[in-house]
Amino acid sequence: MGNVMMAVSRTKVTAVTNLAALVEHECTNLLILYRKQENLPEDMESDRLVFISHPSSQLDTKSKLQSLHTGLGKCYSLLERAIALEEEELDGVETTEYKNTRGRLKGELLNLLKSTGGLLKAAGGKPIKVLDDSEPYQPSNLFHLKLWVYSVLMEVKFWSSTAIALLRELQAVAAKEPPKKSKKSTRSTRR
Amino acid sequence: MPRLLNILTSKPNCGPVWVAFVLLGISVLNSQAKIVLTVPQQVSLSANFFSQQLTISWFGGEATTFDLIILRTEFNETVFYNTVPAVMNQDGGRHQWTWTSVEPLECTSLSVKIRSRDGITKSEWSEPQILKGRDLPSNSVQQVYPQDKVVPVGGNTTFCCIVEEGNEFRDFLYGSIKMNVKRLSRRSYVTTAVNQNLSGPTGTNVLCRLKNKLNGSVIFVGYPPLPTNFECITNDLTSAVCYWDGGRVTNLYAKRKTSYSINKRDCPDGKCVLPEWDGNWTLLAVNPLGQYSLTYSAELLHRVVPVAPVNLSATDDAWNTTVNWHWPYSSYNTLALLCQVQLASHNILLRNFSGVGLQSVFLPHLHPNTKYRVQIQCGSLNHFLKWGNWSKEFNFTTKSYVPEAPDVWMFVNRDNSVRVMWKPLTQWQSHGVLTGYEVTLWSLEENENQTNNLSPKDNSLNLTDWASITADKKAIASVKANNVKGMSQPSSIMLGLIDDKCAPLAQTIYTSSGFPLSWQHSDNSTGGYLVEWCEAVCTSDCAVDWIRLDAGSTHVSIKDSIVKFQPGVRYNFSLYESPSVSPVLIRRWQGYIQELPPSISVNLEINQQDCDVVLSWEEIPLAGRRGFLLGYKVYRVNNFSNFTLLDDLSPEMRTYTVKDLSTSTYKFTVKAYTSAGEDTGGTAAITLKQCADGLILEILTSLGIVTLLLTTVSCFCYKKRRWVKKAFYPDIPEPKLPGDWSRTQSLICAFQGPMDVKPFPHSMVHIIEKPEWDFSKDTLVIIPEEEDYEGEGIGDEPVDTDEPQLLRYYNQVVDERPIRPRFPDSSVSSSSSVDSANTDVTYTGIQTSHSSLVFPSDSQGFSEGFQPHSGLSLSSRNKGEGYHPQMHSVTLGGNLASPEPIVEPHAVGSEGYKPQNSWLLDSPTEGDENSPAPSLGSPTSVASTQFLLPDRERHEEKRQQPSSAANWFTNLLSSAKP
Repeated sequence: MGNVMMAVSRTKVTAVTNLAALVEHECTNLLILYRKQENLPEDMESDRLVFISHPSSQLDTKSKLQSLHTGLGKCYSLLERAIALEEEELDGVETTEYKNTRGRLKGELLNLLKSTGGLLKAAGGKPIKVLDDSEPYQPSNLFHLKLWVYSVLMEVKFWSSTAIALLRELQAVAAKEPPKKSKKSTRSTRR
Repeated sequence: MPRLLNILTSKPNCGPVWVAFVLLGISVLNSQAKIVLTVPQQVSLSANFFSQQLTISWFGGEATTFDLIILRTEFNETVFYNTVPAVMNQDGGRHQWTWTSVEPLECTSLSVKIRSRDGITKSEWSEPQILKGRDLPSNSVQQVYPQDKVVPVGGNTTFCCIVEEGNEFRDFLYGSIKMNVKRLSRRSYVTTAVNQNLSGPTGTNVLCRLKNKLNGSVIFVGYPPLPTNFECITNDLTSAVCYWDGGRVTNLYAKRKTSYSINKRDCPDGKCVLPEWDGNWTLLAVNPLGQYSLTYSAELLHRVVPVAPVNLSATDDAWNTTVNWHWPYSSYNTLALLCQVQLASHNILLRNFSGVGLQSVFLPHLHPNTKYRVQIQCGSLNHFLKWGNWSKEFNFTTKSYVPEAPDVWMFVNRDNSVRVMWKPLTQWQSHGVLTGYEVTLWSLEENENQTNNLSPKDNSLNLTDWASITADKKAIASVKANNVKGMSQPSSIMLGLIDDKCAPLAQTIYTSSGFPLSWQHSDNSTGGYLVEWCEAVCTSDCAVDWIRLDAGSTHVSIKDSIVKFQPGVRYNFSLYESPSVSPVLIRRWQGYIQELPPSISVNLEINQQDCDVVLSWEEIPLAGRRGFLLGYKVYRVNNFSNFTLLDDLSPEMRTYTVKDLSTSTYKFTVKAYTSAGEDTGGTAAITLKQCADGLILEILTSLGIVTLLLTTVSCFCYKKRRWVKKAFYPDIPEPKLPGDWSRTQSLICAFQGPMDVKPFPHSMVHIIEKPEWDFSKDTLVIIPEEEDYEGEGIGDEPVDTDEPQLLRYYNQVVDERPIRPRFPDSSVSSSSSVDSANTDVTYTGIQTSHSSLVFPSDSQGFSEGFQPHSGLSLSSRNKGEGYHPQMHSVTLGGNLASPEPIVEPHAVGSEGYKPQNSWLLDSPTEGDENSPAPSLGSPTSVASTQFLLPDRERHEEKRQQPSSAANWFTNLLSSAKP
């Protein structure tokens, strides 16, 4: 893990962590707005939609980042589909706060996805393409669509929280490692 | 029947048999009819779950009606039971009946049975046909019905929730409202939302909550479509463009929103372009709640709305221009058009033009060197429907031209120098960029020309150094303006001094329309009028404005101009007659747009003039008045800064005199005031000195009053001298006690109180006998014998135990009995004095003693100024009245350094001889030592009526006692004695 952090600047990791926090914050707001708009109960449960092993179950940093990146990619695909289905089946003509927040979340999630892709690349992994080749969801009725959208938002929140936790873990490990000596100082020592 | 009855009558024995037959026959017939109503066969069910309709069909034989019963299979509850008419289907003769369920058909299984009916005759029920619900055990998941339904506002919708197998129902929510629930089967629950309101854009959620699971449905509540204002026009004379309004908002969006079509061509919202002009159009609007159609018909040429002209251009000139444009459709070439041109520069002008295939217009009456903006819109001339769209704005600028002649006027400055002024040319008047002004001056007397070239910014020329212009010595000024196109026509003015004293002056009051000025029209005036205005305090370069008026004008309102009207500033307005030839000033006005209190206070001067105070001040400068002065208010400033208005003076007053003031410090404030109020005021203070005249006058007045009073009293006393003498100064009877000192004792006792007798230093006393005295009225008291005194007990008067000792100082005293005063009006004393009534006493000598007593008239002063010492015997009773010895001075021996401090304070009461005319108190206690002067009361005995001292000494005594009323009376009475 320390080697990875040597390849990637701490500032970059911090920026990605902040970006993940922004996604989580935006998603939390969106869930509040959605519950209010749809009169959904607070204790409503959601279905899991992304079936990828959790990064914490992985052994090395690259695998962890790979798992995170893949999960975020799935989330982004689900969110795109959810927005498309809402616009097709439900949306009115008016611009609402929910729609504005939803658009911002989509953009910020894409940034987070690209940023984690950068970290993964630095760690020697291969970023995925933002394409969901799975069969698109087709709701049986509009209520199921609403439940599914709720589940998508909950999944985005989960994976943004996961990203925050993983990236902070990377930062903590990097902080424990001794600072790398510069070449200049090494030369002077040799002299 | 009659026949039958006949049979029964003819064969009475066979009757019962026949009746039995008839009854049997009827019974047989009845049994045969019951058999005819067959049970409905081949009952089938067809369900439309979306519309919640159940269609039942069967074969029913010849029956005309059928009984239909629908039951909820699981609870065997009747949902519907009715007799329905037989409606035979065309295909195969099946009967059919359609029933609409309140609940969704999926909610639970329904059983349907039918029987034939003919009146009261019924067949058996058919075998039940079951429509299976979704609550069968084989379908164990949770379900909610109906799904995604769209209903109109105000409708009722019943929802059912089929509980998951093994789970437990919790509640039903419509939005956030908890609903009442009814159970239809073991797993199915229903609720009904009544009179539904508009749902949200994404529908209203209906939630069915189980113990640990959630499912639901979405319902959309809205309106069917209702479009309005459907019409079609043509822009290109070929195609049709149709418009309509969506009308009422349906509240249905996304897939449920209203779709439109015209003549079966799908159209977007609000507008549809059809390639051909059909002449008749039908708009059909459809949404899940219904559809609505509108139709429209029109001829092509009646519905022409031209498009906006394109490619505008202009051919410029100084005073006019021609604007050209193009049409995108050649079909317009034969169309009669009406076009509107909007021309905008400083203002906006609209001009209409018409013509077939119109493509250009000529715009006259433009101004040179002016930027214009032009837009064009057109319509059909013959069948005008409405204007087409405006073209894009096109800008052009006209060419330059020589300027207009400037408006020239002159202004006479305060120093009588003349200023030639002209109004700056506006953009409309300059016709191009000005390059300057040329001012030519021509002196008529000296025939002298002078030309001045000035910059375009100049608008005046002071002629201070050119020529002295007087009322008789005049000149002409000509002004011309220059621009790139050339020089304007000259504008001339006759220069000369104008007498402004003869013109009447008036005030003008500002109104919302300006300063109103009006005057009488003069028939002689043919050259018009000119009104000039400026600030009343006009410096050499102050702003001056003017306006020229026609000859018939009689009034004008002057508004803000280059002379910016300010509150509190006075403006002069002058009306001139024949301004261009020989201006004559005929009227003047002054006014304020708003008066203010004066900004400058008077410079107050204050002076004393005799006993008056004269306030004076100078006039407030015009700039500080800020309004028409209405006067001055004079205030006296009292303590605590209170203002007391003394006078309100006219504005012409400059002095004010405050009269009759006493010697003190005074503060005055003079405030000038306008209609807006007073200024802060000028204040001055003065401390008045004693004015000489007043003092003298006061003294003289006092002396006069005193003299008058004395004269009056003297006259009164003189006139009433006998009465006065009797009342206040009765004659003292002479004591007559021949050869006996008891007279002396009686005399002594005649004094009130315990008589303290003191030997006189000078013992010469002359008693003048008055034989004529009426001794019957004598108040002289004879001292009674010791026994009498003690026996009669004179009141509560204390006994002076010192008196026997005092009497020892008198060598003539032979009787050492205590001497007690007696009162003449006392019955006791009068009776006791009878024996001594004729006593004669002659004092031949009274021994002087250092221990003799003094009788101060001011007993208090005595007691304070003279302290007794041991060896001195003093009376403790300080009666100052009565007989006093003629004491000059008392030498008290070595303990007293000097007699002066003792004698002088008691001079009034103890010095020298005093006539015994004092009023004594009726009661000895009242005349106690605190009595400052003899009180009026009963007269006591009088020992003498003459001063016993020489004149010189009397004079000295008078000096010492100048205001003694007693002495004055004594003198008066003495002199009044015959």
